[in-house]
Amino acid sequence: MKDIDAKVLSSDMLAEGLIRIILYAPDIAAQAKPGQFIHMLVPDNAHVLRRPISLMAMDAHAGTLTLAIQPKGRGTQILCAMKPGDSVKCLGPLGTGFDGGDAKTIYFVGGGVGVAPICGAMDAFATETSCAFFGFRTRNHVYGMTQAPCRVVAVSDDGSIGEKALVTKPLLEEIEKKRPDLIMACGPTPMLAAVQKIAVERDIPCQLSLEERMGCGIGACLGCNVKITCPDGSWCYKRVCKDGPVFDAKEVAFGG
Amino acid sequence: MADLSLDLCGVHFKNPVIAASGTFGFGREYDELYDISALGGISVKGLCLGGRMGNPPSRLTETPGGMLNCVGLQNPGIESFIEHDLPWLLEKDVNVIANFFGTSIDSYCAAAEAFANTGVHMLEMNISCPNVHDGGVAFGVKPESVYEITRAVKAHSRQPLIVKLTPNVSDITENALAAQEAGADAISLINTLTGIAVDVHRRRMILSNNTGGLSGPAVRPVALRMVWQCAQKVRIPIIGLGGIETGEDAAAFMLCGAKAVQVGTANFTDPFACPRIVKELDAYCDAQGIGNPQEIVGTLRSN
Repeated sequence: MKDIDAKVLSSDMLAEGLIRIILYAPDIAAQAKPGQFIHMLVPDNAHVLRRPISLMAMDAHAGTLTLAIQPKGRGTQILCAMKPGDSVKCLGPLGTGFDGGDAKTIYFVGGGVGVAPICGAMDAFATETSCAFFGFRTRNHVYGMTQAPCRVVAVSDDGSIGEKALVTKPLLEEIEKKRPDLIMACGPTPMLAAVQKIAVERDIPCQLSLEERMGCGIGACLGCNVKITCPDGSWCYKRVCKDGPVFDAKEVAFGG
Repeated sequence: MADLSLDLCGVHFKNPVIAASGTFGFGREYDELYDISALGGISVKGLCLGGRMGNPPSRLTETPGGMLNCVGLQNPGIESFIEHDLPWLLEKDVNVIANFFGTSIDSYCAAAEAFANTGVHMLEMNISCPNVHDGGVAFGVKPESVYEITRAVKAHSRQPLIVKLTPNVSDITENALAAQEAGADAISLINTLTGIAVDVHRRRMILSNNTGGLSGPAVRPVALRMVWQCAQKVRIPIIGLGGIETGEDAAAFMLCGAKAVQVGTANFTDPFACPRIVKELDAYCDAQGIGNPQEIVGTLRSN
């Protein structure tokens, strides 16, 4: 974990409403694992909270990190407006990552901006028998498909790419054909809750990457805590920034 | 190089910069970034006997020049802190201020007493948390109840007792005086200002607790004013906090009458904020030709 001045190497539109930024951040890239994130300071001296941004790709050799940022609020809009040569304070790598373990067949599930960290996980853990399931709003929102290291099935909200369906439909169909050793998922909460249900009902190991508003980003302030179920049925709050953002699907308590 | 050291209620501090409660955990996370011995003190995450779960998400949101939080005093309990975290913290060369709270006068007293045989250097009584429904700020609004709880807890305190005051009152100096008369050794101010954040698209409150506590540079002018007002009225030392981001901000609080300062929200913007502020305060003293920043405490000239 380091707090460094990262340099923006490039910034371009990855898909509708999504900006891809490549940073030169060798100290972070050398340590980063898929599923981890960096805490970025909005470079205008006016925002007291940093923005947690997950890693879409990391290249330790080149010293680069690839991010996909949705310019949703003022802070992320300023981050997305950065130009090559600009410098931005980044603390990282932070949080737990995805863990492929010895899984031979992994099904990856991504929705919207949540496809980005899944791309990082696929680069690290995809095998020939693995398969990814991406859900996008429309074909204009599609990204992460061309250089995928395994088969990808895309669906959309309007049917402009793939089936007009929720991403869980092709996931279930594939599970019927071949049960995976592991599922990794990141996306909107309803999608994660649906994937959790599918995995837990079938006793398939599953890792979910969660998102929450964050304060410190390193586990001190307890601002990003979410409800986690313990094996004995009781529950507690755990920190998305330090104990997560990747959690075992069995322990995540949605709607808490 | 200025001498930044001070004596606060008989406790020696190497410098007047203290990490504020609730933003710094028990110091472990920040110690991974730098040696926390660089700080004068750490006011640990607010503790109570038996611990507390805290509020559901969302617990925080950014606001112009600041942030709102409603963490709700989540903590593992004084017992767990003393067993698992305090021994580690006491090995560091930094003063440990145990921030604590209860839900009744009796439980506040029991909490203070639980630290009696520990190496904790000071106690900071939180009667100003806006984010819990039982206790907290309920004891901190009326001067009579500030007096009553301070007097009771002081009798159960082995270490110097700091009373942390809420700004959500009509005249904070009345509460500062009440704390002093009841035997408080020092006061710290300000805790957060109560606010709300609105999601206009969903037409809902953003925070799970609806209201939250406002902190960060947005509150600094209010905090400076309150520290200055209290410094005109009380004799006991004041620890100033509220939106301190730089060494010069710390100096401003000291000019207003604070002997020491606490740094909270700035830790989120810059995880190295506390040690940076120590260095900047040193540089400020050198530039001003000051040997020790204690020389300027309360020397602000009014117009």
